[in-house]
Amino acid sequence: MKKINANFRSEFPFFMALPAVAWQFFFCYVPVVCLILLSFLRSGNTAFDTQAVTLENYTYFFSPLFALVIGRSLLLAFCTAFFCLLFAYPVSYCLAIKIRRFKNIFLFFLILPFWTSFMVQAYAWFFVLEHNGLINTILLNLGVISAPLHLLNTTLSIYIVMVYCYLPFMIMPLYTALEKIDRRFFEAAADLGATQWQTFTKLTIPLSMPGIKTGFFLVFVPAFGEFVIPTLLGGGKKLFVGSLISQYFFVARNPNIGSAFTVITCIVLLMAVGLLYWFFNRKTVLTLTQED
Amino acid sequence: MIRSKNTLRYFLPVLAVAAYLFLYIPIIILIIFSFNKSDLPLVWEGFSWQWYIALWNSPDMWHALKNSLIVALCSVALSIVLGLFFVFYGSRNFLGKLLVMFYASLAMPEIVLAVGLLSLFSFFSVPLSLTTLIAGHTLIGLGYVVPILHSRFQELDKRYMEASLDLGATETQTLGLVIIPLMLQSLLAAALLVFVLSFDDFLISFFCSGGSTQTLPIYIFVMIRSGATPMINALSTILLVVSSLLVLIFSSLKIKKMDFLQ
Repeated sequence: MKKINANFRSEFPFFMALPAVAWQFFFCYVPVVCLILLSFLRSGNTAFDTQAVTLENYTYFFSPLFALVIGRSLLLAFCTAFFCLLFAYPVSYCLAIKIRRFKNIFLFFLILPFWTSFMVQAYAWFFVLEHNGLINTILLNLGVISAPLHLLNTTLSIYIVMVYCYLPFMIMPLYTALEKIDRRFFEAAADLGATQWQTFTKLTIPLSMPGIKTGFFLVFVPAFGEFVIPTLLGGGKKLFVGSLISQYFFVARNPNIGSAFTVITCIVLLMAVGLLYWFFNRKTVLTLTQED
Repeated sequence: MIRSKNTLRYFLPVLAVAAYLFLYIPIIILIIFSFNKSDLPLVWEGFSWQWYIALWNSPDMWHALKNSLIVALCSVALSIVLGLFFVFYGSRNFLGKLLVMFYASLAMPEIVLAVGLLSLFSFFSVPLSLTTLIAGHTLIGLGYVVPILHSRFQELDKRYMEASLDLGATETQTLGLVIIPLMLQSLLAAALLVFVLSFDDFLISFFCSGGSTQTLPIYIFVMIRSGATPMINALSTILLVVSSLLVLIFSSLKIKKMDFLQ
């Protein structure tokens, strides 16, 4: 009895740490396996059956139509991440390095969108983009246009709102990276006669590279599978990966084809992320050698 | 040379101001129109509280809010307890080496997790309900809780723990009386973060809830699709106020949300 007790006591930490691992295993890794299994079963089969194993779910997607959907999503994800970087860099830079007074207030307003619902943020744009919305009212009153522009339910509206919603995901890592830069580097650069532009390109950008990378992936990966924004603001006219997946599961009610498509998109995403990773790492090496 | 100096000096602040305007103009318009008398979303007819009153009297909203709160609170409790036990007890055996495993749910696009969970539940014919939702949200929560708590736990002075164990406290006593008080700030921060993530989550809720259980984001989504009314503005304004309060609490905890990702 004593031995069992002692054994139990030595194994106690193991059993206390186990539930989290089990949870992660059952609800993250097992689902992926289920998804892959489902994708190899003939339509209509949800339980595993060796008779129903097939590759036809995959061959179904050998068509330019689906390549177009995936390509469109890749382009959307890449452009979103790129424009987010473009917009987020100046604001993070100013906040992390330039501003001294009221910094907390500025920071508060920068963090706030991160904590507000995606749905609320997307909905807010209806008032800006609609027929009698803000942009059309301003442009009409200024006399730039004579008839209201058609802005809602277009690809443009999807892009604008995507950049808007994902901006905080870029700002946070950028700000963190920029704030970590030792101020003495800037002093040293100024002392050694570097112009502001040289300091910016040769010092600030390379040193904030970890933040750029993190932000780029934080935006790129979820933007690729985004479902809400294309559905609400695109009017469902153009299909993206997220909306197509949900259509297979909810409209066509064909989880087998749907999971095959999900697996294919995951493979494409992995390749895209790998490519980006290679690109970023190559670029840092280049900037470092330039500095030498 | 002087020109490039000046462009950089004025160019960046102007862009920064533009970014703030870009972030806040839509939100400000949204808030203004929540007080609109007209039921046409974009015609201003005067000030009124009527949409807030209509929202208060809407049973669907209360139902969705109740579901959202249940799911969020349960997944906060589960992911904090599981995460804390993993970080503390896992540091004492090989399970702690499995930390990497928890990054997977962060690295995958959420829609893949959502579809995966849906096929898991259909594979084992589990009926979709609030419970399946809690399972999914706890998974998302663990992806944030474990890295945050782990990085804080590594920073702790391990001598406190050794002293406590030397003086005869059991591991559980050490956890409750030494480790938890030392980690209180990051525990609160992680709890707040998981609460907001779960409360705002749409994809997992949409895929794993089944038709009957509506959470607040799904309620808003359905309302927007069936025709926008200023009631959504009222609801959005309230949610914005709540999230600003949460940000105030969170920033007073002095933990930067993204620190652990770098």
